[in-house]
Amino acid sequence: MMPDMTQQGVAQVAPTPVAANVPVVYFNGVSKSYGRIHALSNITLGLSGGVTGILGMNGAGKSTLFKLLMGKLRPSAGQVKLFGMDPWKNPAPYANVGFVPEHEKMHDWMTALEFVSTFARLHGMTRTEAEREARRVLDFVGLSDVANKEIGRFSKGMRQRTKIAHALVNDPELIILDEPLQGCDPLARTTIMNVIRELGKLGRTVLVSSHILSEIERITEQIIILHQGKLVALGNLHAIRERLDQIPHTIRIIGEDARTLARDLLGHPAVFGVSFPTDQELLIQTFHFGQLHAALPRLIVENGHKVSIIDNPDDDLESLLHYLAGGNA
Amino acid sequence: MAKREVPSLWTGMDRKALAIGEFTLRQQQKRLSTWVVLLVGIAAMGVLTMFYVDAMTRDYEAIDNDGDSFDFDGDGYPNGQENLYGTDIFDADSHPGVLDPSILPDDQSVWINEDDFDWDALEDGSVGVDDNGDCDLESRTDSQKDANRNGIQCDIQLISDRYGGGYRVLSDGNVDEDPDDEAYALEAIHRSFVLAIGKLGVVFLIGIFVPLFMATGLIRNEMTSGTMHFMLAKPIARAEVFLYRLLGFYALAWAYITVLIALLALVAGLMGPGDGFYRFGDLGVWMAVWLAAVLAISVYGMLFCTLGVMWKHGMVLALPFAAWELGMILTTLGAPDASILRFSVIGWAMNIVDAGAAMAWQDTPLLIQMGLWGGGNGPLEGAEALNIFWSTPGLDLGALGTIVVSVLVLLFQAAVCWLLGSVLFKSKEIE
Repeated sequence: MMPDMTQQGVAQVAPTPVAANVPVVYFNGVSKSYGRIHALSNITLGLSGGVTGILGMNGAGKSTLFKLLMGKLRPSAGQVKLFGMDPWKNPAPYANVGFVPEHEKMHDWMTALEFVSTFARLHGMTRTEAEREARRVLDFVGLSDVANKEIGRFSKGMRQRTKIAHALVNDPELIILDEPLQGCDPLARTTIMNVIRELGKLGRTVLVSSHILSEIERITEQIIILHQGKLVALGNLHAIRERLDQIPHTIRIIGEDARTLARDLLGHPAVFGVSFPTDQELLIQTFHFGQLHAALPRLIVENGHKVSIIDNPDDDLESLLHYLAGGNA
Repeated sequence: MAKREVPSLWTGMDRKALAIGEFTLRQQQKRLSTWVVLLVGIAAMGVLTMFYVDAMTRDYEAIDNDGDSFDFDGDGYPNGQENLYGTDIFDADSHPGVLDPSILPDDQSVWINEDDFDWDALEDGSVGVDDNGDCDLESRTDSQKDANRNGIQCDIQLISDRYGGGYRVLSDGNVDEDPDDEAYALEAIHRSFVLAIGKLGVVFLIGIFVPLFMATGLIRNEMTSGTMHFMLAKPIARAEVFLYRLLGFYALAWAYITVLIALLALVAGLMGPGDGFYRFGDLGVWMAVWLAAVLAISVYGMLFCTLGVMWKHGMVLALPFAAWELGMILTTLGAPDASILRFSVIGWAMNIVDAGAAMAWQDTPLLIQMGLWGGGNGPLEGAEALNIFWSTPGLDLGALGTIVVSVLVLLFQAAVCWLLGSVLFKSKEIE
């Protein structure tokens, strides 16, 4: 057979070898260590369909999880299956996968259209087919206006959307997005979130990682929480939240006289304990965070206290993870 | 129902190959470093060519190798003319002018290059013609006229040396004893230049430095910057990525080497000695240089790319290898049949150039010996240079056989490097 030098023909994309009744993503007791550092320990999970948020601090193992799926890393123990196939040294499953890596570096000298269509051709598309598909996905992520501009002149958000377009060009069954919202402007965030939700509605399996809880909340309810390489929670976000209510929260108040303020607040039924790191600072422990938070302003004003700051040092992912991990240990 | 066309392995591979090849080619074009490397290569070859142009346009002093143009006795007749007519060169009263009929004196310059080598007849055996008749004189005995004892009077016997691979020159006295120095120097220096710039300049320097700077990072740079993730997230085997990246590099490097050799061949063909407008006879040598350079670039490219995959400072691994190759090419100049050359890339590439030159310029070994003999008066200008850069191909297979075997060996080396690089790349974990 002669080479297809003109590359003008009709694309002959291979029928996708998806086995029925096999989870799209399957981890069975997977660990990955670098020397004595354990990046992932004993992860077991199976996913098919819908959008799943992977939540964790930097270094929790989110990227390692994705790289194992993408055949970039070999598991130290356990099995990784992508459409029922081992992805290590086997590129076959990627006919059905779109991957958005977290790396910032792109081929800045290419236009968005060139970038997307060049990589589309690695799916076996002809030149014309690849260009048509590239225009379709660039339109899908809202970049059709700038398709012929160089990526080097793009904003962070436009670059992320170009990466997403490149991952969607083969209309994949599974889309993996590693920190797609990081560093994006609010407009790009909204666009990207809409794209992800749209993909979920189309019945695709989407994995999206983030270290910001509120971002994930806006995209999906199905989440996986990783902490220090361990799977600490998996399931519906609201169910996980309910569990969180059973652990004490901390409220920090900075004012003129912390001790007098404490005396007035201790009477409230929601307050479980108080402590004073300094004379101006008061830490309150509570099991009923929402109730206390609502009552606080009235208590402060009624007793005539002068308060400069009220915040919840706990209400970030780190302490949430800390509690979850502690509970599992 | 329309039958679904199943893509063949070949169409799929060729689309991916073209996509990555094109991508790599364009990526190289966008890099400043590419242009710096390529321009430095052209500049280096340009400087070497300037020495050649200077050598070709210089005037070479015609040297009277045998003293025939002198007039020892001051009677107005050069010694050579007096010898020819049997008069005494030390007696002013004895000269061809007193003979009957009287002979007019020649101009001295006639006797400077009076008996040149017989260029067109250079071959093993009896060659040479006594152009000025000073060998076949009545005054000389038969044994003087056949000093080399080959049964032919007034000739030169060229004997191939079965052990050394060269030739020996045995001359009957006064035959070809005063070669045209300029003609010899131009021819010998021209051939030396073509061989020197072909071997050391194009095949070695360009052949090793272009891959060193452009192929070492083909895979490694993408791994370091993280952009390899885009390519490896597609349904394509890593061995294919490795090969297609190289193909993109080859497209640029092969085109570059072709243009460079064409320019050199053009300049040397126009500037070189000869009656014609262009020295078409050299094209065989240039084609051999091109073949050797293309293959050397191919092997080095595969090897350096593999070293880049092996270690992020692949160039550190490549430099000792380049030094080894430098040692090997110097070995080919002195001992082209040394068996250690089998363990190099450049040794096989040099075999191709040597074999090509042996086919295009079959008389070169004789030309060297004649020049070193220099009419019995030591080496002519250019003879020693040509002796250095000319080598008899090291394999005892004849010129064509040497080329075929060397090409196969180089292709095999490239294939082994590709296999090694692919296996390494395949089992590499990428952060």
